Amino acid sequence: MDCTRYSESIDDLIDGTVGSIRRAELERHLDSCGDCRALVADLEAIRDAASSLDPIELPPRVWLQLAGRLRQEGRVTATPVPTSPIARRAAWLAIAAALILAIGTSLVMLLPRLRPGAAAPATGATNSPAQVDGTADSTVQDVETEFRMAEQHYQNAITKLEQAARLDQATGGGTPAGNQAAIDPQTAAMLQKSLHVIDVAIAESRAALRAEPQSAAARDSLFDALKRKVALLQDTIALMNEMRKGNAAGAAQIIGSASKS
Amino acid sequence: MATSKATTASVAGPGAAGRAADMALVARCRAGDLAAFGELYAAHAGKLFSVACRMLGNPVDAEDILQEIFLSAHRKLEGFRGESALGTWLYRLAMNQCLDYLRSRAARTSQLTEAFDDEPALHQPGRSGLAEQTVARMDLERALAQLPAGCRAAFVLHDVQGLDHREVAEALGIAEGTSKSQVHKARLRLRGILGARGR
Repeated sequence: MDCTRYSESIDDLIDGTVGSIRRAELERHLDSCGDCRALVADLEAIRDAASSLDPIELPPRVWLQLAGRLRQEGRVTATPVPTSPIARRAAWLAIAAALILAIGTSLVMLLPRLRPGAAAPATGATNSPAQVDGTADSTVQDVETEFRMAEQHYQNAITKLEQAARLDQATGGGTPAGNQAAIDPQTAAMLQKSLHVIDVAIAESRAALRAEPQSAAARDSLFDALKRKVALLQDTIALMNEMRKGNAAGAAQIIGSASKS
Repeated sequence: MATSKATTASVAGPGAAGRAADMALVARCRAGDLAAFGELYAAHAGKLFSVACRMLGNPVDAEDILQEIFLSAHRKLEGFRGESALGTWLYRLAMNQCLDYLRSRAARTSQLTEAFDDEPALHQPGRSGLAEQTVARMDLERALAQLPAGCRAAFVLHDVQGLDHREVAEALGIAEGTSKSQVHKARLRLRGILGARGR
């Protein structure tokens, strides 16, 4: 039986766009062809699964980074010179956005060579005497140096983000906008708890790395914890921004995202 | 026999009024108004991020690409004339960025994904029975990653995002018939991958 001539009609049936004449013809064929009936049933199952796939949550930091890049390139209206507490708050947020951009750029430059696949030759070199030559030593040193640089970048980023978040909260504290922007105690406790968990993870990863300096797993674990801390601080600043704007929905989305991290 | 539901999401917008609103927003963005660009971002970034994640296979790359898409959009808004809906225009920018990225990633890793982009057989032995079990979303996400980029793009836009074939064709810069054949190929391939997994 030549089923291929019904192939387009089957797709149109799945899409709900098949006309009545072709539909009647196709249904006659389906009555007598088990293979095509099974095909239609499977394609309907696939279509149903595809249309029920959930949207993937977009992290708020992407907008902050994008806005930072647009400002840095001078492509959008510049933030006015801050004169009032509210304006100072806006300026801090602009600085935070630019800072996030700078962090992202520097880490993108550093990280590819530090990912597990790249770090493998270094760890392999210590296990295999045949590989212990000048080149391998040099690679180990390069990776070590880059690792220290990347870790330092993360640490700098964390320090600056912490300062930005603290100052942002302080500058708006006494104004009506400040009251609106103040993070409620429950959310503040959740953020503090998340930060504490991440800080513990950072401390444990550092201890593991001290005990076993060549361990790729310990490095990955430390980077992962540092990255999570940067992301959480970015979300904290984004949250303050949304609350300052009175955007409860945006703030709720950030809280939901931060609580999962 | 159950028939399909019609596609649910369109990017065409509500006609002339929608186009006028698009053009007003674009004019504010062109003037350097960051808040206006924020409105444009809020309206479109979520769906473009989902598409980018499914095209690239991971959210980290998708975040980078999403920034590039919107930076590119900001640069190109000067040339936007409203001939297509803003959403469709953004989909086109997004798909170009994703496909360029996949091509360069394939070149770096010497992958030849398009080499398998031939027409799958309509009936494959043992490839059935999906209807008797629910297709798990996670299985479908993993199977999507195994499709050649061309038919994956058409499938994601049509079957996941709910664009019609005219809109998919516009977003991918292909003919409507090509969109249909790419979605057809994708569905048959997915059936093969998911059927093999279920046995």
